[in-house]
Amino acid sequence: MFREGPATTASPGKASLDTRYGLLGALLIAPTVLVFCAVIVYPLISAIYLGLFSIYTPTMEGEWVGMDNYRRLLASGEFWRSLLNNVIWTVGTLALQVIFGILVALMLHRNLVFRAFARSLVLFPYFLSTVVAVLVWRWLFNDLYGVLNHLLMWAGIVDMPVDWLGTMPNAMVSLILVGAWKYFPFVVIAVLARLQSIPDELYEAASIDGAGAWGRFVDVTLPQLRDVLIVVVLLRTIWDFKEFDLIYLLTGGGPIIGTQTLPLMVYKEAFALNQMGGASAVAVLMMLIMLLFMILYLSRARD
Amino acid sequence: MAGIRFDQVSKRFGGVTAVNALSMEIQAGEFVSILGPSGCGKTTLLRMLAGLERPSAGAISIGGAVVNELAPAERNVAMVFQTYALYPHMTVAGNIEYPLKKRRVPKTERAGRVREAARVLELEALLGRKPRELSGGQQQRVALGRALVRDPAAFLLDEPLSNLDAKLRTHMRAELIRLHRRIGRTMVYVTHDQLEAMTMSQRIAVLNEGALQQFASPQDIYARPRNDFVAGFIGTPSMNFLDGRLEGTGADRVFRSGDWSLPIGALRLADEHPDPDRRVRLGVRPEHVRLDAQGEPARVILVEPTGHETILVFDYSGNEIVARMDGEVSLEPDDSVRLSFRVAKLHLFAADDGRRLNLDDS
Amino acid sequence: MSAPARKSRRYLFNLFAWTVVLVIAFPLLWMLLTSIKPQSELFLIPPALLPGEITFEHYRRLLTETPFLTYLKNSAWLAGGTTLVVIVIATLGAHSLVRFSYPGRERLATLVLFTYLLPSVVLVIPLYLLMAGLGLANTLTSLIIAYTTFALPYALWLLRSFMKAIPEDLESAALVDGASRMQAFVDVILPQAMPGIISTAMFTAILAWNEYLYALVLVNSDAARPLTTGVINMLVTSFNIEWSLLMAASVMMSVPLIVVFAFLQRYLTRGFSAGAIKG
Repeated sequence: MFREGPATTASPGKASLDTRYGLLGALLIAPTVLVFCAVIVYPLISAIYLGLFSIYTPTMEGEWVGMDNYRRLLASGEFWRSLLNNVIWTVGTLALQVIFGILVALMLHRNLVFRAFARSLVLFPYFLSTVVAVLVWRWLFNDLYGVLNHLLMWAGIVDMPVDWLGTMPNAMVSLILVGAWKYFPFVVIAVLARLQSIPDELYEAASIDGAGAWGRFVDVTLPQLRDVLIVVVLLRTIWDFKEFDLIYLLTGGGPIIGTQTLPLMVYKEAFALNQMGGASAVAVLMMLIMLLFMILYLSRARD
Repeated sequence: MAGIRFDQVSKRFGGVTAVNALSMEIQAGEFVSILGPSGCGKTTLLRMLAGLERPSAGAISIGGAVVNELAPAERNVAMVFQTYALYPHMTVAGNIEYPLKKRRVPKTERAGRVREAARVLELEALLGRKPRELSGGQQQRVALGRALVRDPAAFLLDEPLSNLDAKLRTHMRAELIRLHRRIGRTMVYVTHDQLEAMTMSQRIAVLNEGALQQFASPQDIYARPRNDFVAGFIGTPSMNFLDGRLEGTGADRVFRSGDWSLPIGALRLADEHPDPDRRVRLGVRPEHVRLDAQGEPARVILVEPTGHETILVFDYSGNEIVARMDGEVSLEPDDSVRLSFRVAKLHLFAADDGRRLNLDDS
Repeated sequence: MSAPARKSRRYLFNLFAWTVVLVIAFPLLWMLLTSIKPQSELFLIPPALLPGEITFEHYRRLLTETPFLTYLKNSAWLAGGTTLVVIVIATLGAHSLVRFSYPGRERLATLVLFTYLLPSVVLVIPLYLLMAGLGLANTLTSLIIAYTTFALPYALWLLRSFMKAIPEDLESAALVDGASRMQAFVDVILPQAMPGIISTAMFTAILAWNEYLYALVLVNSDAARPLTTGVINMLVTSFNIEWSLLMAASVMMSVPLIVVFAFLQRYLTRGFSAGAIKG
């Protein structure tokens, strides 16, 4: 009943099935690749290229200056000051986010009346527009009518209204606080998700072994949270480091350049000082610094 | 209805060879099981037959035509998946109807065929339900229904019973045999469960590490295993193996292991004049071990009564020997007994490549 | 521990926890209260917590005397347009990344994750030049194009992990049942991916709704300004800052987010590991 004869693996004149499937797959990803090339890859290369020019923004006329932009930047105090500010802001706000995030997550993991509603209230700031968050906080910080100053004076902590945003180091402290308020829910969500997946047996076993509440936290909870916290810290480091909206809207980098971070310096160079080339160079340097964290995250996420 | 033929089929995933130069021919209408331990390449073989994987080399034919480059849709085979793979968003009726829709069967005809398949599988009351509202056994029947409704050239079943509980599995085994008898279609049944393979199939293909070990009827595979892998894989408890040497020829032949020897002159070998001192493995099925006052001394290690029979483990000249005996045997651990083997039923395998050395009649 | 002691400890814990929650939520509460207080009550010293009289005057003024409605319309178009474009492209792309094999696929997936982390501030200058060159400056189109730079990698990454969770056997079954790859995608994969697609769409819409930097750089006219830059523009251009008006605008801006957020809540913890929470 079977035809005898040499076995053929492909009918002539027709691409093999795997090839046709591969082509279909390539066709489906083609729009993505096209858009990526047009709006991400091209601008990215373009940014690196622009950093080698001196370009006057209004006329967009430029001339090749090679590494001059970089030489100028690395010799300028402003670049190093912005980098320092960037590090202070990132470390400060991240530390508060993580500590506060873990504590609130532990709290919300326990039995609480109206727990779902409490969670919503805590998580919502994260989804709020930064513009709204900043407007609200500027109203709270208002030196004359701001409720924060009144509260502090009423409680006797200060006896003069505090200038929250106009002086240093107040501006940086305010910034770090608002950043922590806006972004700590990210840590809460991550930790809650992880806490929900820790099996109760682990706690029961620890209790049987004689561990108290603190012992259970240190020996059971913290080790289980380790991995998720590493990911959270990496992601938030990347995102906090590149934060523009919050800082630009809350202090504008001021007073003078007291809270100016690298993303703000990029914006200022390009659109206030009209130096597109210099701005691109700052952006490229900033990305190089971030690359370390990005690569760390990429290698973890690929597992 | 169509026969299936594998011609030197290989499949490699990267550097791993899942199926290695496998050839076999399944007759039209035959119920064939592909049996082997997990990772032996049996599911890959089935997926290649369905068109879900492409062979790296060789040819697969269905009904005489090479199908290597045909998409699954063009092969007219039906498949039942281990996970059932029911479409969760469709009702039972929708699931069963789907293959008809894709084959452009007219709507009026579809309804009738769905109803007929549902009737055969006793799913009529469930047609409006979603898969998640069904029990495991019901889901399994829907998966069968989706294959049955189509009248395909061959049915491919990938461990369809492995997610059912023991009782339901026995029931479905009988159902499948009845089904095959009634529709008489070619069925290729992948399983790691030798009981399923032995009870259901007309022929069994035993696979190990991507290579076909033996392709024969269940009786043949059990009584005349082609090598020591098949011998050891088929049968519970497994066959006992004793490593040793052959001495002498013909009626004077002796199997020697250490200082213990067994005359096996009654055993006929395919090659009557092998090298002297040939290294071999002697295979003894547990049911061919018996208590015998004239036998060799042994000590009872373990007694496992199952009711109608008792499984015993002996220390026999330093080897562990498993025996299957009558349920009424009354032995205790550490009892001393004497054992012998039914020499005519012994199996001899070459120690180097494991091939069978017995001369078989058929 | 005795039963009453345990009960009072529980009581204290609830009291403490809710105090913390309310302190966290206070800025939002204050925003709401400010927006419904008469202007005169704003400058009381000390400020009163609850309004003596509730007024919706600020909302009325916001909608009638300011360009707020234009901004709102622009934001809606932006969020809708960006989401539509991105979801269509990303659904096809994610399906390709998950179910097809071709050279370069893994490298592409890594590139997607890399761009997911890329700072907008690096791309904003070249995109500004590109839009000016294309004559798209000051249009909503330019913003939709710019928003794909963060929304597409995001949606792709999210959808990829949602679609990875769909059992491979489902597509295999459809193929054996007679479907082509595209039919299997439409008949089986797409319905299974729908909850993931919907939640991805909503997360994407939130990102677009809240975006600020591109809107600041690429659009400089009220006709194309979205809410984020528009409301800030109201702040900087007015002679004296009208906080009640701004707080009313903030509330209005947040209402769609609250609706979406309520819907997405059950996805939050599940979506976290998939990368749904970005910002």
